[in-house]
Amino acid sequence: AGGGCCCCGLFWYRDSSPKPHLVNRFCILLAADVISTVEFNYSGDLLATGDKGGRVVIFQREQENKSRPHSRGEYNVYSTFQSHEPEFDYLKSLEIEEKINKIRWLPQQNAAHFLLSTNDKTIKLWKISERDKRAEGYNLKDEDGRLRDPFRITALRVPILKPMDLMVEASPRRIFANAHTYHINSISVNSDHETYLSADDLRINLWHLEITDRSFNIVDIKPANMEELTEVITAAEFHPHQCNVFVYSSSKGTIRLCDMRSSALCDRHSKFFEEPEDPSSRSFFSEIISSISDVKFSHSGRYMMTRDYLSVKVWDLNMESRPVETHQVHEYLRSKLCSLYENDCIFDKFECCWNGSDSAIMTGSYNNFFRMFDRDTRRDVTLEASRESSKPRASLKPRKVCTGGKRKKDEISVDSLDFNKKILHTAWHPADNVIAVAATNNLYIFQDKIN
Amino acid sequence: MEFKLEAHRIVSISLGKIYNSRVQRGGIKLHKNLLVSLVLRSARQVYLSDPCPGLYLAGPAGIPAPPPQQQPGEPAAGPPAGWGEPPPPAARASWPETEPQPERPSVSHAPRVGDEVPVTTVTGVGDVLQGGEADATEAAWSRVERPRQAAAREAEGPAGGWGVFPEGSLAARRPCFCPLGGEDPPGTPATTPRTACCCAPRPAEDEPPAPPAVCPRKRGAAGVGGGPAGCPAPGSTPLKKPRRNLEQPPSGGEDDDAEEMETGNVANLISIFGSSFSGLLRKSPGGGREEEEGEESGPEAAEPGQICCDKPVLRDMNPWSTAIVAF
Repeated sequence: AGGGCCCCGLFWYRDSSPKPHLVNRFCILLAADVISTVEFNYSGDLLATGDKGGRVVIFQREQENKSRPHSRGEYNVYSTFQSHEPEFDYLKSLEIEEKINKIRWLPQQNAAHFLLSTNDKTIKLWKISERDKRAEGYNLKDEDGRLRDPFRITALRVPILKPMDLMVEASPRRIFANAHTYHINSISVNSDHETYLSADDLRINLWHLEITDRSFNIVDIKPANMEELTEVITAAEFHPHQCNVFVYSSSKGTIRLCDMRSSALCDRHSKFFEEPEDPSSRSFFSEIISSISDVKFSHSGRYMMTRDYLSVKVWDLNMESRPVETHQVHEYLRSKLCSLYENDCIFDKFECCWNGSDSAIMTGSYNNFFRMFDRDTRRDVTLEASRESSKPRASLKPRKVCTGGKRKKDEISVDSLDFNKKILHTAWHPADNVIAVAATNNLYIFQDKIN
Repeated sequence: MEFKLEAHRIVSISLGKIYNSRVQRGGIKLHKNLLVSLVLRSARQVYLSDPCPGLYLAGPAGIPAPPPQQQPGEPAAGPPAGWGEPPPPAARASWPETEPQPERPSVSHAPRVGDEVPVTTVTGVGDVLQGGEADATEAAWSRVERPRQAAAREAEGPAGGWGVFPEGSLAARRPCFCPLGGEDPPGTPATTPRTACCCAPRPAEDEPPAPPAVCPRKRGAAGVGGGPAGCPAPGSTPLKKPRRNLEQPPSGGEDDDAEEMETGNVANLISIFGSSFSGLLRKSPGGGREEEEGEESGPEAAEPGQICCDKPVLRDMNPWSTAIVAF
């Protein structure tokens, strides 16, 4: 009945008497720098992180091992490489940050793994391959590589493969550069597995994975006169199944769905999703908090989810007028918007993610809190990613923010939230209840109990 | 009144953010600057809706005020000598002159971006400018205009503010001192769009070109020295035009080879606010000029440090200038 739950038994159990909390296994992995993106691959066996220093670290899930039965499901470092370096554009007198904005995996087609990683300006396709065997017994050369004198060879042998220590190599296979004037905020691999899109503030380009010297511009919202600029593109994603469909979100809180079959330049949308603003909640910062920071299709392709500053919304692709669900992430911050504007927190770009079955969604908040919403039971929970509150094999305790009045025990008041501890990036395993939560430069991986 | 104070505070914070955005690594973030400009607009609207005349009319009418010296204690958010200086490269941190420059106190001028009424040009003071600086300041001024436009373009917005400009209403191009062809003024960072030069000829519904409205830099006591860049030649009568959007026709289209990231307009907002505005408070309300209104003609009194805030501007409670005054 309750199998396949995650993290908090109170949240996930569906029968009427909630069982005690599940045991959680988690590990904390320390990164050298602030983590800027987290992404599981299609199978969930690999987890990639990018950081502000341009590095990519890939973790691999341990396979079931009879000798170490408890180690199944642990993620250990698999490969580390420097994806991007800081650059300086001398012509424009611009420094280009090496921070990895997004990583997206390609579906696996052979033994090697491929991923796309991007900074503000350049996208790179990386091949991660293993080498765990090497050939020995060459005829024409010695073990140390020296050529043998052919006249001394009296017999022939067939070289054999011998195991060696696993070596994981990452090599850049393609560099997609010079196609974006503005800062790249999204990349998305198409379901055709041949093309992908990259989006910056004003434009979206379509690439073929094999071709680096050309890309097609499919969306351009740059006004002829920049003074007329009123909105920018904030995120874009391909539909998971329909290779001609993609969406992009804007700083005005709107989402446009485009069909590449309708025209070469998709400036005119096929669908336009916007929720009318509630005039009673208008403030100086209404526009900022309505800016969408992330958009994600559900695995089914029927829904999409958007994250703005205070909420996550689930949209049915067949209904443009309003979302079908709205979940408040931290509504208690609405009265603090001015302070959050001052300390720049109001510009934080939170991401959101679906679980494998699309029954739950997750997003981050401040104070190292993250939130999960069960769409079926309509319940939500706040959890914390921190060393103090999480012990190995102990369950995560739900947290609560006290919004006013008397603060109960274990509650945290809004004013004591640490706004420097923000969880912007989270990822959910495509099939299992395993989540990865990036808290500054710590990566937390939580899993549910193994029954 | 509370709203006005909060609006004022938000304006100050926003200006600081735009300023800081210039020195951030990775170049100017278009999204963030756009959002900040939207907040600025909202704050401006609050100012407009809550008029408080006593707050911004400063100085008795007709009394010229000595140019305020650059205050040493300038708030960090407003780089004191920034106005006349070419904006620094976006990637570079420091504003060129962060120390007060006693001999060249900056002029507080009303950001007439989007103003119905053009800002008074300080006449007679522009002649002493070094050519490069004139170019720089003029270009800087025109670049300054643009972020206001970007933020102000929303059709909704109370009339009278800089948010209201009807689309397509163009400012007449005024003769300015920019080098021809939209060439970047010396020292201009490459990131600032070349289209920012306001002197690109443009058919305007209105007639004669008005002089560049901005008098960013108050010069020191060197008499006419205080050359606000771009001011008309001494002795000429600055013609006031209702200064609308500072439309920038694309300078021959974008550079196909290497498109500039046009965020210089947004980031250059700081140029407006780079001055101390202290002069604005001493501005004689009578110094304004409005062609349509047939105000006192003749060049603005050539006193140095005459700020570029129109009396009509003030009188019309231009929301932006009131915000700046308060700032």
